[in-house]
Amino acid sequence: MIEIGGLSKIFPARGKDAPVQAIQGLDLTVKDGEFLTVLGPSGCGKTTLLRIVAGLEPWDAGTIRIDGRDLRGPGPDRAMVFQSFALMPWATILSNVAFGLELRGVGKAEREARAIELIEMVGLTGFERRLPLDLSGGMQQRVGLARALAVDPEILLMDEPFGALDEQTRRLLQEELLVIWEQTRKTVIFITHSMEEAVLLGDRVVLMSPRPGRIVDIVEVPLERPRASAVDSIEGSAEFAAITSDLWRRLREMQTFRRHQHSKTVSAA
Amino acid sequence: MSATAVKTARAHPPDPLPIRRFTPRIGSSVVALGIGAVAWEVIGQLWGVRFLPPLSAVLVRLVELTQDGLILQSLASSLRNLAIGFGISLVVGIGVGLLMGAYRKVEMALDWWVYALDTAPTLVFAPIFFAIFGLGPEPIIAIIIMYGIFTIIVNTVTAIHTVPGSLVEMGRSYCATDRQLFWKIILPAATPLIMAGVRIAMGKAVKGMINGEMFIAAVGLGAVVMNAGRRFDSAALLAVLIVTIMVAMVTIKLVQIVDERLTGWLPATQRARRVRGGSGA
Repeated sequence: MIEIGGLSKIFPARGKDAPVQAIQGLDLTVKDGEFLTVLGPSGCGKTTLLRIVAGLEPWDAGTIRIDGRDLRGPGPDRAMVFQSFALMPWATILSNVAFGLELRGVGKAEREARAIELIEMVGLTGFERRLPLDLSGGMQQRVGLARALAVDPEILLMDEPFGALDEQTRRLLQEELLVIWEQTRKTVIFITHSMEEAVLLGDRVVLMSPRPGRIVDIVEVPLERPRASAVDSIEGSAEFAAITSDLWRRLREMQTFRRHQHSKTVSAA
Repeated sequence: MSATAVKTARAHPPDPLPIRRFTPRIGSSVVALGIGAVAWEVIGQLWGVRFLPPLSAVLVRLVELTQDGLILQSLASSLRNLAIGFGISLVVGIGVGLLMGAYRKVEMALDWWVYALDTAPTLVFAPIFFAIFGLGPEPIIAIIIMYGIFTIIVNTVTAIHTVPGSLVEMGRSYCATDRQLFWKIILPAATPLIMAGVRIAMGKAVKGMINGEMFIAAVGLGAVVMNAGRRFDSAALLAVLIVTIMVAMVTIKLVQIVDERLTGWLPATQRARRVRGGSGA
């Protein structure tokens, strides 16, 4: 279980830019085995939130506990999947997938056996000896996912993992992620800017708004699981349409609000 | 780890494109060299001035100098200096560059020194080295180091600075220690740019070798040049020039082979871009 209480993060002033309150007074609890999606416009602090939970970013106020222990830097209980894939271009797919285990000192034979299992799970069997740049974006992100799963984390942190992919690839990977998640039942925090993605994947959708970054609402997604086999009927359902259009309405309000605010500051200046 | 990665990368070339591109390039460079040789011969024959003997005369002189053992003897002592000087440049240059790239304080301390010495006319130091080390190979080795080492340092610093932050972050998120970050991510990611610097430095070191020998101690190939110059023996001068160019090309080719072993994973387009950017530096 992840318990976040009163979390605040301020990026200090840089040059002429004023300090930015990236996150303000954020409370959030993520249950074990929950698939939580975080949705919001750019600049709402959703990626910062994820990076803090990953242990990559310090914060200014508040507490974060994972299974009752205070968060202190990166840990073996968490693994991250990056929007930019972050694969090592000089290393084979096999070495990339085995990398987390290699860092932990797992022997070569053992870590490669484990990597081969996960390469199969993400459907890349036969590409073990290829280099990342030989692969398409979708395939590269499968490698990123396999690398994260290889260390068998309790928590999977996904930072807009499909954001850099084309629509068709993204949909395929969403379905595959559902299949994999339904098998493994990891706790997942999944950052996205797509309403459909947030609803299709998540048990709950955390809606965030910018300046300062905070939680506006947490929406329960009442869609049944398993969803992987029923993606088409889910996306065609009235329920799905109602939730996504409601989320979109509220996201649009944030944007309109920002525009007004912006024009006000412009006219004041 | 990077060694196994490189091996596998070489065992599975991504596509035949780089090879196809490479063959015509060898062809055209041979043609270009041939045209140059013919032009040299013709101009030399027709013009008939003393300072530009035709290629054939230079080649005859080269054979003579080789036969009486002068060239080979000089070449051996020159190459020994080059090997020592460049070896020191490699170890110290990459070492200092890595430290400067990794530690801001080291970089701030050494930055100006490196750029100042890199742009300074190196031969100014020749008398100083001569005064310090006296006769013998040491001052020449020092000059060879001065010619190449700063290029290696500057490129290594840049290489470290341009390691993608996303990879470092990935390593940290998977709990890499500082040592693991350095050996498994930063160093392999920096290798292409470091090697680009090493290639340029190799050419500069050959230049430094001849210049050092000419200006400091009349030894090695530099001595042959000095003596030939005093006798207005243009054919011998140009013969040594040919030998020098051949030395430079062979050594650079050696570096290139090492480079391709280390960075075989680079896609062909990036390799070309890096080499173009590198040769301009």
